[in-house]
Amino acid sequence: MTNLISTLLLQSSSGASGDTTLATGQAVTPKTFWLPQGASTFAREIDWVFEFINYINYFFFFLVVGIMLYFVWKYRQKGREVYARGPSHNTMLELGWTILPTIIVVVIFFMGFSGFVDMRTPPANAYQIDVTATRWNWVFKYPNGATSDDLYVPAGKPVKLVMRSEDVLHSLYIRDFRVKQDVVPGRYSTLWFQADQPTAEGEFHWLFCTEFCGTGHSSMSRKVYVMNEMDFDSWLVEQGRWLDKIDPAELYFKAGPKLYARCAGCHTLDGKPGTGPSWGDYDGSGNVWKRSSDPNSTHKVDQKAISELIGPGKQFENAQSYIRASILNPNQHIVDGFGPAMPTFRGQLNDKAIDALIGMMQHLDEFDTKSPWAKKSDGAAAPAAK
Amino acid sequence: MTTLDTRPHITDEVPGNYLTFRRGILSWIFTLDHKRIGVMYLVAVLSSFFVGGVMALLVRTKLLFPGEVSWMTADQYNKAFTLHGAIMVFLVIIPSIPAALGNFVLPIMLGAKDVAFPRLNLFSFYLWVMGAACAVYSLLAGGFDTGWTFYTPYSSQFGAGGTIPVLVGVFILGFSSIFTGLNFIVTIHKLRPPGMTWFRMPLFLWAVYATAIIQVLATPVLGITVALLVVERAFNIGIFDASMGGDPVLFQHFFWFYSHPAVYIMILPGMGIISEIIAVHSHRHIFGFRFIAFSSIAIAIFSFLVWGHHMFTSGQSPLMNVLFSAITFSVAIPSAVKVFNWLATLYKGSISLNTTMLYGLAFIFLFTIGGLTGIPLAVLSTDIHLHDTYYVVAHFHYVMMGSALIAMVGGLHHWWPKMTGRMFSEFWGRIGCTLVFVGFNVTFFTQFMLGSQGMPRRYYAYQPEFKMYHHISTGGSYIMGIGFVITAIYLIHSLFAGKKAPANPWGGASLEWQCSSPPPHDNFATTPRVGDCYDFSAVHWDEKLQGYVVDTEAHVAAARSDSASGKGH
Repeated sequence: MTNLISTLLLQSSSGASGDTTLATGQAVTPKTFWLPQGASTFAREIDWVFEFINYINYFFFFLVVGIMLYFVWKYRQKGREVYARGPSHNTMLELGWTILPTIIVVVIFFMGFSGFVDMRTPPANAYQIDVTATRWNWVFKYPNGATSDDLYVPAGKPVKLVMRSEDVLHSLYIRDFRVKQDVVPGRYSTLWFQADQPTAEGEFHWLFCTEFCGTGHSSMSRKVYVMNEMDFDSWLVEQGRWLDKIDPAELYFKAGPKLYARCAGCHTLDGKPGTGPSWGDYDGSGNVWKRSSDPNSTHKVDQKAISELIGPGKQFENAQSYIRASILNPNQHIVDGFGPAMPTFRGQLNDKAIDALIGMMQHLDEFDTKSPWAKKSDGAAAPAAK
Repeated sequence: MTTLDTRPHITDEVPGNYLTFRRGILSWIFTLDHKRIGVMYLVAVLSSFFVGGVMALLVRTKLLFPGEVSWMTADQYNKAFTLHGAIMVFLVIIPSIPAALGNFVLPIMLGAKDVAFPRLNLFSFYLWVMGAACAVYSLLAGGFDTGWTFYTPYSSQFGAGGTIPVLVGVFILGFSSIFTGLNFIVTIHKLRPPGMTWFRMPLFLWAVYATAIIQVLATPVLGITVALLVVERAFNIGIFDASMGGDPVLFQHFFWFYSHPAVYIMILPGMGIISEIIAVHSHRHIFGFRFIAFSSIAIAIFSFLVWGHHMFTSGQSPLMNVLFSAITFSVAIPSAVKVFNWLATLYKGSISLNTTMLYGLAFIFLFTIGGLTGIPLAVLSTDIHLHDTYYVVAHFHYVMMGSALIAMVGGLHHWWPKMTGRMFSEFWGRIGCTLVFVGFNVTFFTQFMLGSQGMPRRYYAYQPEFKMYHHISTGGSYIMGIGFVITAIYLIHSLFAGKKAPANPWGGASLEWQCSSPPPHDNFATTPRVGDCYDFSAVHWDEKLQGYVVDTEAHVAAARSDSASGKGH
């Protein structure tokens, strides 16, 4: 317990020194025993309220437990004739301990109230980023049309996220910014923050999904990078064009894996079952390209052989058309054994991106099914230009 | 049918006690005796507690590992924590104190022969069984993975195959709860003995009465909500699903309109038990009877006005958030009043530090933490950071398990000699209680740090930085598990080898301590006379009986002179 107390004391003094460094431009408060680092303009006030309540809580906790232990020791039972005579009530005392907590909680309420109103009132000049949540991906779309899987924001500028969900409830939580807002299908919700200090090379802030959304709920963690305004602007331009700049001959190899990162939550490459059918061979009919393009494929869609759908004169002229339709209108045909779980990628993947994905499927043998490029946690999957 | 309990027609003398009154399995299945129904509930609830506990240990064991594990997929993990939550809430905590302990004790505390509607009481129990059967069936039908909160549209569009059966189960369990509440309200109104005014009624009954009001008023809302959800899922009628024109946030309003009061259905009877335990085992008059009694009613009323504090980040309007935050603080007051009154009851007492009292003191310790950590969750700006993290998980476990369930286990020990006629081992009792207490704090206190550091709840995989806290927490859950296993062993052992219990082992003055242990089939041969149930001046140790006796004449006379001189409550 003494450890705990000393940690807390240290913490409050570090908080005080944080105040002085703020004036010199240090906008990030360090991680403490209770709280992660605070990297938004909200963090300081919210942390202060949290710590203030903590101290009130320590006081009442040690008061209650201290009195309890003292009484238990002082008035412990002696002998078998145990009747004890104590006061059965004391109106003044009881009124006192009814009214005192009332005053304290009213004060605390107002402290939380004022901070909250700020958090719910985005400044008019806020930089807007559109957020689409699906199971189990975030897509961040910037004013110039560029999209990214991780979130990039300019430093020193209020940023407003306008969020919508394509399927179920999600909730966007950036703990270092102390912000959280549910993303609700059928409506737009907003959230704003301002982060003053750019993240250093190799550093980032975690973004979590905090509303349970099924199998991949815990894999919706993404990274938030704060960049100074110049870096951000050039990143934005690059990001808007990264696909165009890739040589068509290298498209599937360079762009495919990056784009596949969005598919990886449901579609594995190694044949292991996921929420959606694996791109690898899982039913003996070959990988996703082979089973779609082979006219004798045993692969089944809508309880029929896939070859009834694909071929000259059929619904889809060729496998490419089928795959493209599956990305843009995924629930039109459902692979046997799976449910209608895939969101549409219409408006999120342009023709070139779809080309890249189809190209990757055609050359699936060239990719290592277990290699980390498909994994979110690896930097290679992040579509950063740098 | 010959073994059907036909008590109203029985006129000959009562043989033995309620356990030996009739024999054979049918005499239990068709019993109308509130004590036997209470015991059946107890067995059922404790069995469910075992299953829910195993699920919790599975979840904690998975969380030893930050990443994927081969023996439990994300889907299995989601089903395990959902099952844990749903079992603990709907099958264990909600019925544990009112339906199991309350059923047994309530009529005896009133000096009555049974509850007002014995057949309805038995029907409630079988509804519970049917609800539990639905839950079991849902496991066979694919399980359910929505979290115990059943949030739409996940539950209506995606949740696993067993979702509809379990919702039907929740619907049925709701009726079990409503009927029990109704029964208790009527029993308390109509079957109190002469002389037991409202302010002479034990505080446990005040708490159960307040609980029963919530059960009757709030549970129908849960029923209709899950019914709507079943309709949406089964027939694709858009009520909560935005893609069909519904509103997902509406579901949250409906759900919490019940489920917040349900939190008080769980904790209020626990508070009632603690009032009994603290007074009886301190052998002195409860301090501030009226404040404790009225704070139960205040909590019951406020409980209906605060549901929106579960939804500060849901997208409800900021004005609603502000109102709900303000009203939420009002719940803190009556809760604090109760804690202070229990402390004052210890003052100048004569405190027996037996197993039961240890549970009572553990409750005060844990409830204080549970209550205080509710404050940063009620404050708007800090809740935004803490909402849906492990901080919330830790907070509600301190209240639901550390308080409600610990009170239930305390009450079980308090009334165990009365229910079974046997004394349990004090030595093992204290060891069990200590292990549970230590294990609980190790498990859940670490989760406050996990949460305030930003670990979201319901996560299958997590960032390695949280590993240390998860390891400590899982270690604590094993300690707690061992504590509960020891408790189960010595309690079961006492049934066969325990010392015979005297009628009044602790020195209580309320009516249940004035009939034999276990009580006879009809509780009392004649309507007992009532004194002040917290006046212990007429309670004396009897060496021959190895228990306490209440000098009824002096007890009742003291109460009379109190009321005559206006000194009573």
